[in-house]
Amino acid sequence: MSSKRHSILPPISQPGPKPPVQFSSTITIADSAILTGTNPITIATESVIHPRAKIESSGGRITIGRRCVVHERVTLGAIGNSSSSQRPNNVTGGGETAVTLADYVTVEVGASIEAGDTYIGEGTTVGVGSKVGAGAVVGKHCTLTPHTHIRAGSSVPDFTVVYSNGMRRTDKRGVAELKNKGVARQIDVLRRMIPSNPSKFM
Amino acid sequence: MAPFNPYTFIQCPCSDSSPLGRPADSNSPTGSEPEEDERTFDPRAPRSNYSLYPLEYLLYCEDCHQIRCPRCVSEEIVTYYCPNCLFEVPSSNLKSEGNRCTRSCFQCPICIGPLNVTTQETKPPDPSLLTAGNAPHSGAYALTCSYCNWSSTEIGIDFDKPNGIHAQLAKIRNGGEPRLTAKERKERRKELSHRGDSAAVVAAREEIDGQALDLENQFANLKAFYSSQLADPSAGDNGLSTLGDLGFSSPSSLSRIMSLYTGGKLNDNKAKSRLGAMREALTSDEGLLVTDLDESALISQLHLSDHCDTASTEQITNQPPNLGEPLLHGASRFTSSLRPIPYLLRTKRSKRCPVCRHIISKPESKVGTTRFRIRLVAGSYIPSITIKPLVLPNPSGGSSSSNVGDLLTPLTPVHYLLTFKNPIFETIKVTLATPAATPGRFASKVTILCPQFDIDANTDVWDEALKDNDRGDKSSRSSGSHTRQRRGTEAGLQLEVGKIWERGRNWVSIVVEVVPASLRLEDGGMLREDEDVLEIAMFVRIEWEAENGGDDAGISSAAVGKDRDQKEKRELAYWCVLGIGKIKQT
Repeated sequence: MSSKRHSILPPISQPGPKPPVQFSSTITIADSAILTGTNPITIATESVIHPRAKIESSGGRITIGRRCVVHERVTLGAIGNSSSSQRPNNVTGGGETAVTLADYVTVEVGASIEAGDTYIGEGTTVGVGSKVGAGAVVGKHCTLTPHTHIRAGSSVPDFTVVYSNGMRRTDKRGVAELKNKGVARQIDVLRRMIPSNPSKFM
Repeated sequence: MAPFNPYTFIQCPCSDSSPLGRPADSNSPTGSEPEEDERTFDPRAPRSNYSLYPLEYLLYCEDCHQIRCPRCVSEEIVTYYCPNCLFEVPSSNLKSEGNRCTRSCFQCPICIGPLNVTTQETKPPDPSLLTAGNAPHSGAYALTCSYCNWSSTEIGIDFDKPNGIHAQLAKIRNGGEPRLTAKERKERRKELSHRGDSAAVVAAREEIDGQALDLENQFANLKAFYSSQLADPSAGDNGLSTLGDLGFSSPSSLSRIMSLYTGGKLNDNKAKSRLGAMREALTSDEGLLVTDLDESALISQLHLSDHCDTASTEQITNQPPNLGEPLLHGASRFTSSLRPIPYLLRTKRSKRCPVCRHIISKPESKVGTTRFRIRLVAGSYIPSITIKPLVLPNPSGGSSSSNVGDLLTPLTPVHYLLTFKNPIFETIKVTLATPAATPGRFASKVTILCPQFDIDANTDVWDEALKDNDRGDKSSRSSGSHTRQRRGTEAGLQLEVGKIWERGRNWVSIVVEVVPASLRLEDGGMLREDEDVLEIAMFVRIEWEAENGGDDAGISSAAVGKDRDQKEKRELAYWCVLGIGKIKQT
């Protein structure tokens, strides 16, 4: 009887090329995160990448800001079918920006953010299983509730709560600072929980 | 297209119109009755939609020996409880406080997620106050939704205490101003009237009166006004009151005169005449509410807002009746005026047989447990039927590959295995009957190859296993009545009419041959909804011998005394519908 819990999922294969990375020394990135693509991936200070999060830079450069949390099974820079029709030059062309996460962004389990100059503003939470289309611009301190779909190319103003049925609401609590503090505390815990291995991706 | 799953629905006998709907009328044509009995059940009839249930939905009354469906049981409420805090609410509270949780359980008015009471971390005005202890200052708590980040501070509501939110919320209007209850208003007014008539007092009184008359206050005022009118016969305010009792307009004398003419027999007449003599409410004090027809403010707000700011119908219907609503006609149209929704209470119900009043399902009254004290589900009394396509290897070698969910080819015979599983501890005798052709425009032909068979009792699984082992040790599995018979394999995979296909401990499989009809219409019309689904109506009759228990002692007490251990013959008959598959459209 081994005390170690084994995953029933098959071991992760590393498909595609190894992307050039630019990591801050304080990030936490799990061993089993998947980084692929040809364009550079930048991760700023104190961000956390959970196991099995997938970051694809084949569509362009991916930038993750300070104190972001990218949860399990998230796909950053997914090449969706919506992107190919809308802005083909962005996806195929090298050197473009695919996804930018500003500071304090939390991307929850299973969410997917498509490549194509997609921007997620500061303090925004992308809910479980949400999908952000290519070229969408999500403002600061937004909340995308679980299973929300943001259309490609659309924009979400600051402090907006987007419901999965498409309704929107403006968040008037004004607790952005507190939320950021909460994220910082969460990251403190996560750093202890997730064994980091950035050297694997260097 | 979603794959088709074969199903079995059972018709509850309660929907049979014959015993219930027919008046005991002698001149009704008696000739029609046998016809009614012989009539086969049509699964496509519009009425049968309401009488067909999967076996799992059905209950069984042990005393009437009859199937009971959700439509034909009478329900009784065992407990009321809040689904959020799981507290039981006594039914007496229900009358006084309504059917919502009166503790601190609320749902988000926007997304109906559960709301949590959270402390509002406000910046202390002076750092030195921190050391003075963390005394809770007013408005320290708010309800927040963790799903969509809605907070009660958005509608200007916060709370002093983290508990008893329901009571606190009832006293706060949207925007945070306190709401006076009718009683408080009255007390305030009384206080002011004692203080004389200075300008300040008048202004204060006007302020109280002017404070938007909400539903509760209006009702209280109206009620007080009318009850005073009823109690005081000379309250008629039309100048004739000087005549005292002789005044014709005074309700009492009027009713006296009316009773002279009507013989005093009509009570409501009297009440009417009295009402006629009363005047209506004239001030807001008496409950008069002048409708504010000026909605320009609302309209201009509507111009400034977008679609998401207006409340959806769903959100408005989810709103609890708010007694503190400012105006009768100013019901909220914007999401910004929606209030937290106290959780609706739920019930646990027991079910009774409508005929013999015996309880057939009774949950444990404690809220936390999900167990049942009594639950007579039909699945433990009548055999379950499962449908599986039977794949026969063709004599030519290749086996026809048919899967569950495949479309049926018209006019090609297909075979299905029906497996009957006996849940009771007696051997049962099953008789099946089905019309040779399915009803409807497309008549598929149906043949049950073995319409009559016995199923062995549902004995202990371990008994059977041990028996099997013994036999396996001694001889090479003789084909006794208890061991599995593979008729099909023994007979070289040939279908034999009148023979069981396969038999097990408490189950039997038989074969049904179906020739699906061709879905071609001569006039080239369209298929109606679900006409391509092949459904077979089958009449199942079960006979078994049961222990003559004491349950019908009243009927045959003498006989029971004599032969208590004698077995009693029981039977149960019902229609069921087998959904086999969809026919391919050509």
